[in-house]
Amino acid sequence: MPQRSIVEAPNPLREGLRIKPTLEPCVMVIFGATGDLTHRKLLPALYNLALEHPLPAGFSVVAFARRPYTDEEFRQLALDSINEYSRQKPVNPQVWESFASGIHYLQSNFNDPAGYDKLNNLLNALDQERGTSGNRIFYLSTPPSQYPEIIQRLGAAGLNRNRKGWTRIIIEKPFGHDLPSARELNRQVGKVFREEQIYRIDHYLGKETVQNILVFRLANGIFEPIWNRRYVDHVQITVAENIGIEGRSGYYEESGAIRDMVQNHMLQLLTLVAMEPPIAFHADAVRDEKVKVLHALQPLVGRDVITNTVRAQYGPGWVTGHQVPGYLEEPGVSPTSSTETYVALKLFIDNWRWAGVPFYLRTGKHLPKRVSEVAIQFKQAPLMLFQRSDAGSQVEPNVLTLRIQPDEGISLKFGAKVPGTDMQIRSVNMDFFYGSSFVRQQPEAYERLLLDCMLGDSTLFTRRDEVEAAWTFVQGILDEWKNEPRESILTYESGTWGPQGADEFIWRDGRRWRRP
Amino acid sequence: MAKDNTDTRPRLPWAGKQVSLEQVESELTFLWHMAADNMRISQNINVRTSVLNLIICAFDTETARKASALLREVASTHIGRVTILIFDTNSSTSNAVTSWVTLRSFPIISDIMRHHFEQITVQATGSAIRSAANIVQPLLKPDLPVYLWWLGDPPDDETIFHNLINISNRIIVDSSTFFKPEEGISKLSTILQASPNSALSDLNWARVTPWRELIAQFFDASDYRPYLQGVDEIEIEHAVNPSSRPTLTAQGDTTPNPTRALLLAAWLKTRLSWKLTANESYADHDAITGTHTWQMTRIISPLTTRMLGVGTGRSGKLGSLTEGKRISSISIRPRVQSDLRPGTICLVRLTSTLDTKQATFTINREDSDHVLTTVELEQEALPPRTVYIPTSRNQSTLLSDELEIMGHDHLYEETLHEVFSLLA
Repeated sequence: MPQRSIVEAPNPLREGLRIKPTLEPCVMVIFGATGDLTHRKLLPALYNLALEHPLPAGFSVVAFARRPYTDEEFRQLALDSINEYSRQKPVNPQVWESFASGIHYLQSNFNDPAGYDKLNNLLNALDQERGTSGNRIFYLSTPPSQYPEIIQRLGAAGLNRNRKGWTRIIIEKPFGHDLPSARELNRQVGKVFREEQIYRIDHYLGKETVQNILVFRLANGIFEPIWNRRYVDHVQITVAENIGIEGRSGYYEESGAIRDMVQNHMLQLLTLVAMEPPIAFHADAVRDEKVKVLHALQPLVGRDVITNTVRAQYGPGWVTGHQVPGYLEEPGVSPTSSTETYVALKLFIDNWRWAGVPFYLRTGKHLPKRVSEVAIQFKQAPLMLFQRSDAGSQVEPNVLTLRIQPDEGISLKFGAKVPGTDMQIRSVNMDFFYGSSFVRQQPEAYERLLLDCMLGDSTLFTRRDEVEAAWTFVQGILDEWKNEPRESILTYESGTWGPQGADEFIWRDGRRWRRP
Repeated sequence: MAKDNTDTRPRLPWAGKQVSLEQVESELTFLWHMAADNMRISQNINVRTSVLNLIICAFDTETARKASALLREVASTHIGRVTILIFDTNSSTSNAVTSWVTLRSFPIISDIMRHHFEQITVQATGSAIRSAANIVQPLLKPDLPVYLWWLGDPPDDETIFHNLINISNRIIVDSSTFFKPEEGISKLSTILQASPNSALSDLNWARVTPWRELIAQFFDASDYRPYLQGVDEIEIEHAVNPSSRPTLTAQGDTTPNPTRALLLAAWLKTRLSWKLTANESYADHDAITGTHTWQMTRIISPLTTRMLGVGTGRSGKLGSLTEGKRISSISIRPRVQSDLRPGTICLVRLTSTLDTKQATFTINREDSDHVLTTVELEQEALPPRTVYIPTSRNQSTLLSDELEIMGHDHLYEETLHEVFSLLA
């Protein structure tokens, strides 16, 4: 296409602007537009992007779903959702009016070819009316079981590419249920879309503090030299939730903690903490290094699974002042369910940087509080000069904690002399709080990720080999657990930090879990 | 002997305790001890982070007091220490330096967590004014960058300014408060040329940033990118108050003040590579209407001709530009609009002609919070877009943004020099 030559010429007015370049006008087609994710996250994120004006004038949304709504009815629903869930409210009426004029609703079943023909016509009309130039994003916000159907229909309707502009597809997690299903989904989507068109979203990567892990490591010269087996004793990654399954027994019974948290969020955190510095901050350079970490994970198979993992279900108890039932008493949960709501793992990364350093991961529901953090515990000083005094026993190891949520920030624990004539040592925390250091509002993860997708930057999205490498590791655990009797699943009281067995699991190594 | 009770020392109750310059550090240490003790009693969290030194220069105590009050809103930028310099040129006391210290504490979000920073106020009179840089230097916190915020027009005596610039990493001014805007902004360009190592910021440039973003957005779209090369007319309007002579408003703005419009025009000129040439250029300033008009040359390169000639846009074949020179114009006009602060940009319109096709890109201020962007092409009507750009972004927000930036804003500096050449 000849006009590409001028398109590729940079816009000279962009030089020196402090914000990201804006994108070309495009249409985002949301499949499953009446669902929870669309209304809680996607529409508020798009509105915020419109309010802070990175979105161009012609940006449009096509809401594709089964329920019968008119454009006006859907716009009203969208407005209600934004008013409820947006970080910036109430809605600015003028900006909303301008944004809403680009929202259209298309009623169709996901398996109806006529619906895709109507979609094609609507997209072509929007290209003319709103100048969207054939640029399209398809967002799969439906239950995962619908993904193959939609992908195949998009391909059959010829919507997977067009001559005028670019076409991208965003696929929500969970990306597969296990390794075979993830591979099959990759195969199906790969038949219709090229890999560079595919954006597998894990909203964790859109969080400011997750991105800050890389900045912290790679923009500061003082940490990288000690970021290895010589100085690090072990690493603990905790993703704790104080909520239960919140009525989603259908989903959770099929998923469990390892699929819901470990395979995606926690392994993403692990790769960011453990990866080698990439050669550049480009999508493939970063993802190449993350994949290497996943490939270097020591596989857990057979008896290794039993000795290196703990799984459990929550029992009744009290959480945040409320009495809660046990997992097996939750509506919709089988009384003989073997789905884990808590998992603790010990992993090793077989490479020169991390050989022999254990990475302890734990996640669970109905734990005392909602917290996500990565704690790097350093080795003790090689010579304890203060052993002859009482102070020797007061010296604790240095811990660097990267807090993802809440109270996003970084803490460094070190020993300090207590003022006085005797030698008393106390551990003190040097804290950096995002909230107090940068008072400005942080964008929601989805805002960042949607904008990146519109700009064609896939750095914060998961690549095909990354997904499969993560599933390969997790599959070994799933296979072994399947062979274990149900009795091997421990129980923990809701509102505690997990089962006693998890404490014993780490005590065996002479270590203990942090209390976040 | 009768006791003389007349205390001629200046009083600045907002500046804290009056101490001699030698006592400044010890008094601050004492205040920190007191603050730590208060924190223990009230169980608050004392946030003490030091990121920068800020020097504020003012020519009267009232301006200094207002600046001091405004610091409450920039406390979160982690100023380590503020030194307010007051150049008292009217004082009858000759060659005197008087200083005050205080520790300022502001809640972050809630009262539980509080930011602190140290504030030193120094009033200089007589020949001490010319030694301001020497006086302030020992008061700076070590190893932290120094930001200089200069209030009002650049001084006629450039020595004071130059000496302070030499100890600063970044200088911040606000040309919206310049009483002689064209003269002041030209002077800034001269000063910057003489001190190329210091970075310079103008809060008025930050006010222009959303407009630059919106103009750039027009041409992010590939269909419209070619029209950028065909722009041959730029019109900018800025708000003025009805008064016909220069006036300082209650909010501290000067009217009329075309500096924002000038910066925007100069930025567009440099980005579009338009040239003022001796033979074909034309500049006019109508002092009565306040209109500036320039005509200048733009060069159509062979590359541009080739790219445009082969392009096909969404609506068919685009026009082409003949290689060679074209005459283009920029005009800046005041618009009497008393509901807007003087200097606020009201309208930007870029008209582009590509041989047979014309396109107009317009941003028009609808009210104090919103602008409407439109693109008009022949036989095409694209949807307008309402964008939230409040005029109420206050000085403290802009100052906070500037305090977060280190290093030169080369684009601003280039633009400033361009304003200078346009006005020359």
